[in-house]
Amino acid sequence: MSEAVSLLPWAVAAWLLGIGLYGIVTSRNYIHLIGCLSVVQSATYVLLLGVGFRHGAGPPIFYDHPPGTPAVDPVVQALVLTDIVIGATVTALLLALVLQLHRRRGTIDPHEVRPFGP
Amino acid sequence: MSARVRLWVFLLACLCVVPAVIHVARRMPEFGAHPLPYGDAINARATRERHVTNMVSAVNFDYRGIDTLGEEFMLLCAVTGTTVLLRGTRPQPLADRPGQVAGREVRPASDAVVLICRMFGAAILVFGLYIALHAMTTPGGGFQGGVIIASGFMLIYLGEGYRGWRGLMRPELLDAAEGAGATLYAVAGFAAMAAGLPFLTNFLPLGQPKDVFSGGLMLVENVGVALAVAGGFAVLFVEFLKETRTEQNGEDS
Repeated sequence: MSEAVSLLPWAVAAWLLGIGLYGIVTSRNYIHLIGCLSVVQSATYVLLLGVGFRHGAGPPIFYDHPPGTPAVDPVVQALVLTDIVIGATVTALLLALVLQLHRRRGTIDPHEVRPFGP
Repeated sequence: MSARVRLWVFLLACLCVVPAVIHVARRMPEFGAHPLPYGDAINARATRERHVTNMVSAVNFDYRGIDTLGEEFMLLCAVTGTTVLLRGTRPQPLADRPGQVAGREVRPASDAVVLICRMFGAAILVFGLYIALHAMTTPGGGFQGGVIIASGFMLIYLGEGYRGWRGLMRPELLDAAEGAGATLYAVAGFAAMAAGLPFLTNFLPLGQPKDVFSGGLMLVENVGVALAVAGGFAVLFVEFLKETRTEQNGEDS
């Protein structure tokens, strides 16, 4: 039981990474592909927050309990925080690329867009 | 590479990676009992050294401040790239009609939607400012506050419609907020250098813990991040919603 619980966060992170990559590999639509990329990215959130978690610890905010009370890792939380904001804007950039692709080539199917193609 | 070959390559890669993932996961320290020396050091010292009670902000704006500077410029680059790709492809006038699907009528927003959006739009803008300003004491900060402020802009769009919303959203002001935020962060670093200290050294008075104005230079950097994030997301909203405009006869695109 304890080992299963201990493995669960890593299993969830690996599953999100795998299912997202599977979506990217089999995608027939760039908007779907960008959604899959966000799923891959959310694997990093689970992994980082899993690394920083600690049983019975509070948030790393020492406003109403004094410094020294057990708290989870603030470093990974800061990493996830910036990760989410950057991920959202990079998604917007990719969606803008898809809009331009649709305007120029009339398709958003990755299979129809060949590198160095016509 | 055909779709079938691509799938087989992916499955082959999974076969190689999955045993490695299982091997590593089984040898991780027990979940919830990891040694976290870096986080513990910051939890133990930051309140004493930097007079702030929010450790995440202390990491973001002070102990790893240079990382956040890099992230600011990533944000700036992504927003600039999106704007360059989208701007100028659609007509600018505010009088444009919303995009329409043939045969589907566009109804005006109901009074209930307008009322709720006006009430909550303003409340969410104030809440975003509160979250952004209390970065040093309670959970929150420029990143979260900036995103909340930008989502308040979206509620204004839902309530007022495109024309009323564009009357409020001045792209030149939003561009300026986005650029000025990133610049403010960089200038905060160079100001420390001008004072003869290493880049991004916290040289301002630190104030009292649990006070909104504690943290010294972190406050300036936090304002920069809040401006850059709120401005950046608002610019993205303007650019993407412009894409839903339909061209009208007699307009230059």
